[in-house]
Amino acid sequence: MAETFAVLGLFDHADALLAAIGKVKSQDLGGPARLEAYTPYPVHGLDRALGLRRSPLAGMVMVMGILGALFAMVMQYWMSAVDYPIVTGGKDPTSWQAFIPIMFELMVLFATFTAGLGMLLLLNRLPLFGHPVLGSRAIRSITRDRFALAVEAEGSGFDPRAAQAALEAAGAREIEWLPAPDTGPFLTAVTIQRSLAGIAAACVVAGVLTWGGVKLMPVLRPMVHMEDQPRLSAQQPSRFFPDGSGMRMPVPGTVARGYLPPPFKTPEQAAGLVNPLPRTREVLDRGRAEYQVRCAVCHGALGDGTPTLTAAYGAKPANLVAPNIRAYADGQIYGTIVLGKNAMPAYAADLPEDARWAVVHYVRALQRAQNAKDEDLP
Amino acid sequence: MEPESAVLLHRLPPFVEPPEDLRAPALTAGPITPGELDDQVLAFPARRPPRKWYVAIAFTSMLAAVGVFFIGVTFRVGIGAWGNTSPVFWGFGIINFVFWVGIGHAGTLISAILLMFRKRWRNAIARFAEAMTIFAVMCAGIFPLIHVGRPWLAFWLLPYPNQRGLWVNFRSPLVWDVFAVSTYFSVSLMFWYLGLVPDLASLRDRTPGGIRRVAYSVLSLGWRGAADHWRHFEKAYVLLAGLATGLVLSVHSVVSFDFATSIVPGWHMTIFPPYFVVGAIFAGFAMVLMVLIVVRETMDLKNLITDFHLEVMGKVILGMSCLMGYSYAVEGFTAWYSMNSYLHHAFMNYITGPYGWAGWLTMTCNVAIPQLFWFRRCRRSYPWMILVALAVTVGMWFERFVIIIVSLYQDYIPSAWHLFKPTVVDFGILFGSFGIFFTLVLLFARVLPVIATSEMKADLPGAQPGNGGSHG
Repeated sequence: MAETFAVLGLFDHADALLAAIGKVKSQDLGGPARLEAYTPYPVHGLDRALGLRRSPLAGMVMVMGILGALFAMVMQYWMSAVDYPIVTGGKDPTSWQAFIPIMFELMVLFATFTAGLGMLLLLNRLPLFGHPVLGSRAIRSITRDRFALAVEAEGSGFDPRAAQAALEAAGAREIEWLPAPDTGPFLTAVTIQRSLAGIAAACVVAGVLTWGGVKLMPVLRPMVHMEDQPRLSAQQPSRFFPDGSGMRMPVPGTVARGYLPPPFKTPEQAAGLVNPLPRTREVLDRGRAEYQVRCAVCHGALGDGTPTLTAAYGAKPANLVAPNIRAYADGQIYGTIVLGKNAMPAYAADLPEDARWAVVHYVRALQRAQNAKDEDLP
Repeated sequence: MEPESAVLLHRLPPFVEPPEDLRAPALTAGPITPGELDDQVLAFPARRPPRKWYVAIAFTSMLAAVGVFFIGVTFRVGIGAWGNTSPVFWGFGIINFVFWVGIGHAGTLISAILLMFRKRWRNAIARFAEAMTIFAVMCAGIFPLIHVGRPWLAFWLLPYPNQRGLWVNFRSPLVWDVFAVSTYFSVSLMFWYLGLVPDLASLRDRTPGGIRRVAYSVLSLGWRGAADHWRHFEKAYVLLAGLATGLVLSVHSVVSFDFATSIVPGWHMTIFPPYFVVGAIFAGFAMVLMVLIVVRETMDLKNLITDFHLEVMGKVILGMSCLMGYSYAVEGFTAWYSMNSYLHHAFMNYITGPYGWAGWLTMTCNVAIPQLFWFRRCRRSYPWMILVALAVTVGMWFERFVIIIVSLYQDYIPSAWHLFKPTVVDFGILFGSFGIFFTLVLLFARVLPVIATSEMKADLPGAQPGNGGSHG
């Protein structure tokens, strides 16, 4: 015969159960054993009669609630004031008053999950599907309307007959011996706790790695929504045209306005050309706009040839405000824009004629500004 | 001796049984034992549902399918399928969101706040009200998700380490809302499930076998009713009630911050948080009342959900209705007293503008009609109860319509004024959300215990030792 886990006695009423606990306690239980009651609903006074201590849940919930609030405050402060300081509505990034609603919500969230899962998983060690009481005949009455008092063995040397006698003397209606389970339970609170802890740890690791990865490799693009557009970029193939190319040749024998082929082969040959544009505010504004789009990336916003790209790409763009370039004729600068020079590509395809001449005016303005003398001051 | 010190020194006259008309009414109509309670409530899942149930769920799931179809249209076409256009960028989506979150509040009030106040009558209706909370918050959650335009990116609402190196803006009430509503849903679910565990164990032990028994076994986590477990369980339940009490007041306050922290005339008011919370409880009670009438009639629960329950709910609705009247009066007073012409205009626009009918409909439904509940006859008769509950539901939806649409369509710049015209997609999703809600309610009534049996058993006469069954 298998070892006995417990002897269970059923009672019809909560009063009978409470009275029986006192009686059974005073008797010999047949070896090391503890008393446990199984009831369909919480019966008041039962914990005192069984000598159960107060539930420690309230303290756990308070601690976790405070931790939740602190976590929320630290998280929001770090995210909005330290890692990526953000000014909203003219408020200082460190203004913490706006973090209070989320502090409250996370406090409640942490406290709730501590109360619920802490009660089930930690204190009650549920789920537990292999408990002997669940396999008893009595469980149908226990979860319905009757009350069970169990004398549960603790260690070896338990004598179920003595326990049965004690329960019978206390007025139990039905007695049942519960055999100890021969296999372990298959899904227990410990398994679930370990799984949850594993998932939580994996989340933390993934979060830290992602955050670190972003700091190291900012150019990775996981989402391309607005860049993914239904149009053809330069050099892309297209099945729409018979030759398979997305780019089109101009109609034979035509020239676009502002893009006449230059009548010179080198910039020096262009030196004789005269700037046809007047030196007005509008022309200089246009020249500046074109310069900042096309030229500033290499020659720098001031024209001194020290932009940010120089160091990264090892190029040595010309210093436009140096004496040798200042000595150029207007036409020579124009010719350089049209034909390119050394590493500089030709800009004839990007800038129409009047834009080129406007840039020439602006380069002259830069040269003047960077080589200003005291008497230039008004 | 002074009365106070008599109390302190426990020198009270011997307890006398109060006369009949002063005694608290019995919580059940007719005596019932715990076993009979189980047989009555827990037998539903085992039985084949009646024809009515199939007809009802066919109708509601059809409605839900309509909603899902129009949500699909929204995904395909975009938010342009809705009536939202400048200057009304918050249309039906936000109205429905606020409406459904509000419906949920009654459940938490019944389950948490009334538990804290030891109102024992709540036990019979708490389970259903909590279930309705969860389903209502689920319905509410649909709307912000589809309103963001690209719902597959809705996780961007959460602060997680991402490749853009950005965090969400924690100073935005919309982010507070994400936290408040998701916390509210998790807490409600936890509260509901915790209460269900002992009842699921009862269901498990009375189900002979098969897939249902496996499901109930897994869901009840092997609950065995040990005294050692009950002491933690009761503590957890009271703690959750306390936490949910604070939460239920905060959630709709945070929802109201979405409006109150902006500078739109008619939104920028300090009355908004309490006004929203009261309105939420008001609308939720009306919905619970309506559903409970149907439930007690069709599921034969008249002895457990008694006329007394319905009457108490009617009284709560009446009280909330008076508070709503007060809130509307404060809105008007604030508009007048502010001497701010924009605010003044916004308020007059509520009652005299092109949507004036909506303003008057709101006040009629929310303030005037519930006054019927001053009469005991109306609190005890189905037609009147259903009339008031329907009026409150309609009135509360239109209240959000007035707050959102009427405040937005005429803002500071008259050249931007534009009337809001909802489309068929708007209405389809609104009615579809009702379909989803009632489908879930019907499924819940079919497979889970609709009354918290273990809570009710603990409060039946004679259930507790010694003192004749009084609880606490």
